[in-house]
Amino acid sequence: MIDLKGYGPRLLEGALVTVEVAVLSLLLALILGLLTASAKLSRHVLLHRLATLYTTLIRGVPDLVLMLLLFFGGQIGVNMITDWLYYQFDVDIFISINEFVAGVVTIGFIFGAYMGETFRGAFLAVDSGQLEAGRAYGMSSRLIFRRIQFPQMMRHALPGLGNNWMVLLKTTALVSVIGLSDMVRIAAEATKATHEPFLFMVPVALIYLLIASVSEWGVARLQKRYNVGFGEADEWNN
Amino acid sequence: MADTPIPLEVRDITKRFGDTEVLKGLSLTAHKGDVITLIGASGSGKSTFLRCMNLLEQPNEGELIVHGENIAFKTTRHGREPADWKQVERIRAKLSMVFQSFNLWAHMTLLENVIEAPIHVLGKPKREAVEHARQLLDRVGLLDHADYYPAQMSGGQQQRGAIARALAMDPEVMLFDEPTSALDPELVGDVLKVMRDLADEGRTMIVVTHEMSFARDVSSQVIYLHQGMIEEIGPPKEVLDNPQSDRLKQFLAPKH
Repeated sequence: MIDLKGYGPRLLEGALVTVEVAVLSLLLALILGLLTASAKLSRHVLLHRLATLYTTLIRGVPDLVLMLLLFFGGQIGVNMITDWLYYQFDVDIFISINEFVAGVVTIGFIFGAYMGETFRGAFLAVDSGQLEAGRAYGMSSRLIFRRIQFPQMMRHALPGLGNNWMVLLKTTALVSVIGLSDMVRIAAEATKATHEPFLFMVPVALIYLLIASVSEWGVARLQKRYNVGFGEADEWNN
Repeated sequence: MADTPIPLEVRDITKRFGDTEVLKGLSLTAHKGDVITLIGASGSGKSTFLRCMNLLEQPNEGELIVHGENIAFKTTRHGREPADWKQVERIRAKLSMVFQSFNLWAHMTLLENVIEAPIHVLGKPKREAVEHARQLLDRVGLLDHADYYPAQMSGGQQQRGAIARALAMDPEVMLFDEPTSALDPELVGDVLKVMRDLADEGRTMIVVTHEMSFARDVSSQVIYLHQGMIEEIGPPKEVLDNPQSDRLKQFLAPKH
């Protein structure tokens, strides 16, 4: 076995943090993405503008800058509010922004914009006759969304979602900058202490690769599921 | 029969798209067992008229009474719209529509297509819905295709499947929007045969079609539309065999 100089368990803990941050930000990003896509597709002018502002802003500013802004700027904002509460109402509270939460929120917020664009395109790709048939049979918009629109949209969205997820996974490395002990930060610490970058960075790279491979397998399975009914006819007939 | 409500009554429907008035005050009454065919050149408004009946298009004026229930409208700054969408959903469930492009749900098998709305809209138990669906598929000659996806079937099979889906709702009225126009000529016959059977068993149907022999043989009433107005209306013997207006004569004249 490779001797990780006692950093092995901490590296694994870091890997767990990476996965946690990635999965939680993915969930947040998916929710924000669906909301953004709905807002952009709605006829509501204000919602539409708000969503456009969001995607333009996020996609135009580097992830790292956004993360630092949200983490430090967010803390300053929270402090201003708590200060104001103290002076106005004599309420003394202190809230510190937790690195984990800040990381998840920032990454989720960033990728929500990308997911939003993916979802928007996918919703537009669904044949309108499919939805009209739902309406003609007395389905409510919620039922149509759940039974027809969402499953058919997913087929178009999955390639893009899978891609976004891969990029998101690697973006979690940025949370080490704001002090969260993900596996990159721990590997960096270990490297500093031992002067052996390869010993720690190669396992980190391999773990990322492993997570990515598992994800690709998962996305392929989902793809297969949502492709039912749309593939080549002879694929089923044999 | 006097105390059963009339399945569908439409009064003075107008519809505008922008500045163009495509329906200019159309009325129609479908009694139980009526087969009303709407004919007319493309652009005459016949499909739009049909789509106003289940409110896939919102009429700008006019009344809609389904099985005695008057649909309530309200006027907002976006124009006139139904006051209660729940009511619209309830009424749509009584008026099954068959589309020109079938619109079977592509991600569901044929059987799943047929049981979808009975289960989720009418709240039928699944077992009952499946049993009913299998009978209907048998009727349209597709029981052996129950587990096929729409993309695996021919257009004619999809359309017969779509008719089974419509029948599964036990509708008051069936609305057919050019059901054979998207089909290859050799597939039209099977679909028309199913529709003739439905007419024979006393289904109330409103059919937008270009199939004149179907209109002649099956309908109780033919309506000829021209530029959003009813130009001629009556039993097929009058309208199709003895047209009054020059326009209808021209429309019915052999094209070749």
